[in-house]
Amino acid sequence: MSHQCVRCGKFYEDVSEEILKGCTCGSHFFFFIKKEEMKQIKEEQIKPIDLTLTERKEIEEDIREIIGPDIDLSKPVILDLESIRIKKPGQFEIDLVSLFKRKPLVYRLEDGKYYIDIATTFQLKKNFDEVQPNYNKEETEE
Amino acid sequence: MIKAIKDFMRKLFSGLFSIKNNFKMGFYGPPNSGKTTLANRICKDWTGDELGKTSKIPHETREIQFKEKVEIEYKGNKLTFKLIDTPGISTKIDYEDFMKFGLNEKDAKKRAKEATRGVIESIRWLDDMDMVVVVLDGTKNPYTQVNITIIGNLVARKIPVLIVANKSDQRNFNVKKIEAAFPQYRVVSLSAKFGKNMEEFYENAFALAKQRRSMKKKRKR
Repeated sequence: MSHQCVRCGKFYEDVSEEILKGCTCGSHFFFFIKKEEMKQIKEEQIKPIDLTLTERKEIEEDIREIIGPDIDLSKPVILDLESIRIKKPGQFEIDLVSLFKRKPLVYRLEDGKYYIDIATTFQLKKNFDEVQPNYNKEETEE
Repeated sequence: MIKAIKDFMRKLFSGLFSIKNNFKMGFYGPPNSGKTTLANRICKDWTGDELGKTSKIPHETREIQFKEKVEIEYKGNKLTFKLIDTPGISTKIDYEDFMKFGLNEKDAKKRAKEATRGVIESIRWLDDMDMVVVVLDGTKNPYTQVNITIIGNLVARKIPVLIVANKSDQRNFNVKKIEAAFPQYRVVSLSAKFGKNMEEFYENAFALAKQRRSMKKKRKR
């Protein structure tokens, strides 16, 4: 598994310290790149996500708004691109089958590293007036 | 002790009344199929108000909209519904499509982002529904991933479904295609815009409520 910084496009290996602390450019958002996709990128069979700096910033903003204020953005955010793929700012591809499956809000991959399911976030937001454990906060604090 | 008894009585009575009345009826479907137009028609028929704004530009509804306590009467019986109009569900949202309707790039991108949130929100609300009216555009091909996924998920979650083939006022309207695509469901043809065949819709809304009620009873046993 590899990751690509949403803002500057730099690639990081799975265990990289930068994913936990944030990219050298200051961003905490990372695209999740599947193993087979990374292999294809290395072999130049497919192009990596190629966007301008402005487009990357726009995507970062979009993600912030879509996820909502409940997520601790000082922690690394690895985007669940299985459910929503942002091709370019304003262009979204939605995998309905994946969204209809109720996945947990946050997957803990390893220490300080989480995989956030955007869809479930809304379930929590919707029930904000009900008694809910502060699941999100607990999960993102390490 | 007294508090416990009071709580028990409150739960018992609220449970009884929620079974008897106030059904949460969700309107689901792809964008521009007429969900808000239908919800508006029902609201107008029974409350005199409208529920939401409609537009020719897809994804006009980008947030869940409600109308509480809509009392519908059919053949002397009365039932109360909470109408829940949901944003259209789609697999691809592209701001460029909105620009074709005259929106500038900034507004089109904002609309795309809100529409994406809307899709997520619609899906997340599904479990709260007592019954769902799937509103399809009767002039379009019903064999789409969106339609099949929505209906498949409703069945899996045991939520009573009614399919509405909307836009029966249009020349290329074809209810047979929808009936052939979903043969195991009741399909009501109507024109929400002109209020055509609403009587059949209300008859089926009552049938859905009955279905829901019997499902709840079975679960309680």
